[in-house]
Amino acid sequence: MGIPWDLIIIQTVNGVVTGMILALVASGLTLIFGIMDVVNFAHGELFMLGAYMGVVVLATSGSFWLALVIAVLVVALLGAAMQIVTLRPLLGRDPLTTILATFGISLVLQNYALWQFGPVARKIQEPFTGRFNLFYLEYPYYRLLIAALSGAIIGGFWLFLKYGKYGIWIRATTQDRVMAQAMGIPVPLVHTAVFAIGAGMAAASGVLFGPLVGVNHMMGLDWVLKAFIVVVVGGMGNLGGSVLAAIFISLLEAYASIWVNPSQAVIASFIVLILTLLFRPTGLFVPTPK
Amino acid sequence: MADREAFDDLWYRGKVTRRTLIGYGAATAGALGATMLVPAPWQAAFGQAKAYKIGTTQPLSGAGAAGGKTALVGVQMAVDRINKSGGVNGRPVELVIADDESKPDVGRRKTEKLLVEDKVDAHVGGFLSNICLACMPVYEEYKIVNIIGVCLDTTITTTKCNRYTFRPFDYAPSQAVAFAPQLVKMGKRWHIAYADYSWGQSTKDAYADQIKKVGGEIAGTTGIPLGTADMTPFLSKISGNFDGLFGIFFGKDGVTIGNQAFDLGLTKKYKWAGDGAIAESTNIPALGSKIEGFIGINRYIPVFEPPLNTPAHKKFFDDAKARLKQIDSSGPDPDRYVQSNYEAFNALKLGMEKSKFRGREDTDKLIAALEGLEMKEGDDFPQGDKLLRKEDHQAFLRQFIFEIKGGKPKIVQVVDREKTVFPPACKFA
Repeated sequence: MGIPWDLIIIQTVNGVVTGMILALVASGLTLIFGIMDVVNFAHGELFMLGAYMGVVVLATSGSFWLALVIAVLVVALLGAAMQIVTLRPLLGRDPLTTILATFGISLVLQNYALWQFGPVARKIQEPFTGRFNLFYLEYPYYRLLIAALSGAIIGGFWLFLKYGKYGIWIRATTQDRVMAQAMGIPVPLVHTAVFAIGAGMAAASGVLFGPLVGVNHMMGLDWVLKAFIVVVVGGMGNLGGSVLAAIFISLLEAYASIWVNPSQAVIASFIVLILTLLFRPTGLFVPTPK
Repeated sequence: MADREAFDDLWYRGKVTRRTLIGYGAATAGALGATMLVPAPWQAAFGQAKAYKIGTTQPLSGAGAAGGKTALVGVQMAVDRINKSGGVNGRPVELVIADDESKPDVGRRKTEKLLVEDKVDAHVGGFLSNICLACMPVYEEYKIVNIIGVCLDTTITTTKCNRYTFRPFDYAPSQAVAFAPQLVKMGKRWHIAYADYSWGQSTKDAYADQIKKVGGEIAGTTGIPLGTADMTPFLSKISGNFDGLFGIFFGKDGVTIGNQAFDLGLTKKYKWAGDGAIAESTNIPALGSKIEGFIGINRYIPVFEPPLNTPAHKKFFDDAKARLKQIDSSGPDPDRYVQSNYEAFNALKLGMEKSKFRGREDTDKLIAALEGLEMKEGDDFPQGDKLLRKEDHQAFLRQFIFEIKGGKPKIVQVVDREKTVFPPACKFA
């Protein structure tokens, strides 16, 4: 049997597109962990709330782009409030307390969404519906747009971290919290801002991905599970590593599905996770620890 | 450190004194006592008559919660209607609701609680097939009748059947018998994409058998794990020389495949058909125009075309729609989960009346009454006539083949109950 080049190219496109969405979800997660040592189990629900906010704004304004911007802002504010009310008082305590707190928040938000919006899945209409021929498939331009926008958001954030004044505050706080505070950086404010940025990124991915699945109260679950794998494989708290790991894992699953059935292909990411934890627990995409 | 002190001050400034503790305690006790003085709604109508306790297990949280909520609406509709019209055998019905959290282990634990602590007389419900299968042995162990509300896994009434479990609605083999001739008319070669868990697998097998039996062929199958958000990498592999794509998905997975198969052009390139759960009324808003032209089969569709243009169906539809509006502001039409739970409860009521059921001690009499039960179209069974077969406790009913046109299902063909019969494959222990 020859090598199915057409399928390999299709799966490369799929892997990169899925990888970029996953990278956007995982970036927020890894950022929050990197700076606050908080494993945010409510990240999937912020993704879901972003999508619901998109539905509401789209229904009232009719503009997808406005829905995207407002959803990001509202969920970022909600994230800030969440951090101030529930996580800030737990700073410095056993990490288990923050895990339990965010897990509790995730249950509250899930059930809130079900109560508020009901069991019927909602639709976000994509801003355009064109398609192009990719071998035997018609491939939607919108998927490429999602990948490009995700890349742009992550890239913009990377530039902000690298060159922006407040980005430098964030990096300083990540490196040494006590020293940053001694240098006059308002560490609690940085924590809140980072949580808000992470929440906003989750919301952006929720709105962007919404048109492909329909919006429902459980839509964050599948993504956040994969995002956790990505964060571990990419190196906890390492933004660049998470992006690379997201693309790597998505490509791996996409290629695996050429030769094995989908249920087995999904296992590929878990195998990578286990191997990473066994042989390189600091993550695949970080410099070798000395 | 100043921050730390400030937060400690913020969070620990409230002092609990003995006086405040006693004050709050007394207020709570008073509030609880006041609620206990208010009688349950059925007590006013039935006086001292002892209520039948009927349990219902539904996924009210977790992955299956959206469907579980509508399923519960069906059960509550039936119970309210029964209690308003004199109860069963002159006694009211008290519903004991349990949330299985969409997890088999929790479902089993909650079922044991219903049977041991709540001491229910019978059970109506169950939504996810893996949970129904996990709980069935518990009903058998405690010898309590279990009427399935939604679970469609074929083995519930075939290889894993038991004496205490009844399914008063259809299952995949009978739907496949009803639908396969139409499918083969649409195209000879089919590719089946299915949700890769118990229900999806058994349904896929049933359709593959029937399509082959009526002269069709299966070009390939693709099982996609339950809850997969991005199916595109798996759907991209579906290609080749076949006529139709047949989907077996429900809930949010139904929305996902409907959207993503359309986006890849699969629903344009091939005939697009599948289990009616894909285009359930609760899924259609999220599918929009992408589900146009889909051909499906379902036991219930919320339309008033013949033979569903009956006063009984109108009554059911209006009540269900009003109740669904309370849990979802978009006011969805009732789906098959509302219908089958409503009718499952009414099947139990009929069996209880026929057997003069008094309680658990009459379980054998209730089983005898339910075996071979004829259910006639009317207010109790707005979907149509049904027969609950004695040999495997599986019901047979008419099926609707429909097409989505203008965002609504339209009946293409009504398949009579007699044409959905599939031989029994159950041996009770």
